[in-house]
Amino acid sequence: MSGFVRFITRRVISIIPMVLLIVLINFFIIHLAPGNPAQIISGLEQPSQEVIKALEHRYGLDKPLVVQLGIYFKNALKGDLGYSYIYSEPVITLIKERIGATLLLTLTSAVLAFISGTLLAAWSSRYKKGILDSILSILSYVLYAMPSFWLALILILIFSSNLRWFPTAGMFNVRLSLHGFSRFGDILYHLFLPVLTLTLIQIPVYFRVTRSSIFQVSRDEYILTMTAAGLERKKIFNKYVLKNAILPSVTIFGLTLGYAITGSALVEIVFAWPGMGRLMLDAVFKRDYNLLLGIYFVLAVCICIAILLTDVFYAILDPRIRYK
Amino acid sequence: MQSEKVMIKRKSNNIIKFWHSYRQSLYGLIGFAILLIFIIVALFAPIISPYNPHAMKGEVLLSPSLSHLMGTDHLGRDVFSRIVYGTRVSLSVGFIAAGLSAIIGIFIGSFSGYYGGIVDEIVDKIVDTFLMIPAFFLILIIVAIFGNSIFYIMLVIGLTTWPQNARLMRAQALSLRERTFVMVARATGESNIRILFTHIIPNGIYPVLANTALQMGGAILTEAALSFLGLGDPNFVSWGKMIYQARPYMTFAWWAVVFPGIFIVLAVVSFSFIGDGLQYTFNPKLNVKQKKVSA
Repeated sequence: MSGFVRFITRRVISIIPMVLLIVLINFFIIHLAPGNPAQIISGLEQPSQEVIKALEHRYGLDKPLVVQLGIYFKNALKGDLGYSYIYSEPVITLIKERIGATLLLTLTSAVLAFISGTLLAAWSSRYKKGILDSILSILSYVLYAMPSFWLALILILIFSSNLRWFPTAGMFNVRLSLHGFSRFGDILYHLFLPVLTLTLIQIPVYFRVTRSSIFQVSRDEYILTMTAAGLERKKIFNKYVLKNAILPSVTIFGLTLGYAITGSALVEIVFAWPGMGRLMLDAVFKRDYNLLLGIYFVLAVCICIAILLTDVFYAILDPRIRYK
Repeated sequence: MQSEKVMIKRKSNNIIKFWHSYRQSLYGLIGFAILLIFIIVALFAPIISPYNPHAMKGEVLLSPSLSHLMGTDHLGRDVFSRIVYGTRVSLSVGFIAAGLSAIIGIFIGSFSGYYGGIVDEIVDKIVDTFLMIPAFFLILIIVAIFGNSIFYIMLVIGLTTWPQNARLMRAQALSLRERTFVMVARATGESNIRILFTHIIPNGIYPVLANTALQMGGAILTEAALSFLGLGDPNFVSWGKMIYQARPYMTFAWWAVVFPGIFIVLAVVSFSFIGDGLQYTFNPKLNVKQKKVSA
């Protein structure tokens, strides 16, 4: 177990320079952006002299750049990301209100894509070079090339506008004030199309990784030995090939989550989902730099945590990794 | 003079050999054919498009017909003509942004891998970080704050996506610098810069080239997403912007949303096919080389 603890500690420590780098990028953008940093942080278009003075004092803007960076870093870690001028509220409060909806969308679709991508790869690898394998492989290219927002629009056209099966926008029906189980059902109903979109665009990643890893593992010597020894092929595949072939997909889960969050921001905008995507769009349109940088920071930290959790999960699944 | 002639001959032989093995990949060939068509469309856009892409002369929201192959949009502009002109933006974003990313990645990766040491470790950490955090948000912030001309968009995509190439090139440089021919070059007194440019980069560039084809598709998708958020260059027609503008009228004019998207998918798929074709072509070659060295 000590190997395990050491592994986790090492991973946690390796996250620190990443967070530092993100803060550094944000800091530089604030200072390079047109306009006065104090004005950007204040979130006001025409802040009074007193406000500027107060902010300059609070964030140490009158001090040398290195000291400023230190103060900025300390504030960011405390969760003080400045004020948003379009909402005149602290950035962190705005993000806290909406991050739940975004994570619900992103995580649900990521898990669904992981499961379906892996299963499809396992299924298609049994018919290697057959028609089914080729169709799935071409489909994976097409889905990979599809802009998430466009797929979302197409699904709305088909399932909402024409078939009228699903709602086009929102997270729940605002006209019915539902509670308990029916509210849960209503959210699921609204969740269906956005999750379908995001799952579809993530499936190719897992499909391809698992497919090539199944191919690789099934050529390993111990598998050949088992086949030669006369074990049932189906049993070898389910018990030995698939189990080992899933590991690379687990490692890329954290990384793919970054891709998923990007897609989810765009899909949220299409479906008017009350998450961070909508917030981001408002910030882009009204040039609310502080809000944009805050969203970037929080998303980046979320991804770091996701990658860390993936590593832990991986270490539990594959004991070999702990002793490297 | 003669050695130069031999070099040229050897080079053209290499290209023919390369083409022979690239031909083996069906996906690679299809991708190349689609790309060729797109390039022709981009070059001859004024001849191919039946209408002026900015002219608001036709009737608004006409469904696809013989006179307007893909219908007209909410301002009466011909969708097909706008798609033809949009090819120019998408292809140039793909080539320039991914090309820039390749050049930066090759330089940083080969220097870092070849020289090693503390600089290499720092570069590796930076590359790791950039690879984990989605570049799209950074690109979005920079374009939103500093401006959205098309050249700026290409520049920012190139400047934020090089870490992938740097990682591939670094791995190549790390293994190449231990090879006998590089050690011989060093022993005969060739300068490090010369070794980098004549041995390390030419021999290790292949994975970067395959990845660059994939990144061209990625750059096209990024530009489309930026345009969809209203951050495209206002002076050019782009596929993403067409979808953005047609979205409010989507329920009664599906064509203005559907067709530009199909072309985005086609362009990105063609680059993915080419990337995979290149990978299949380069990999067996590398395997043969490795076998020879070990034998």
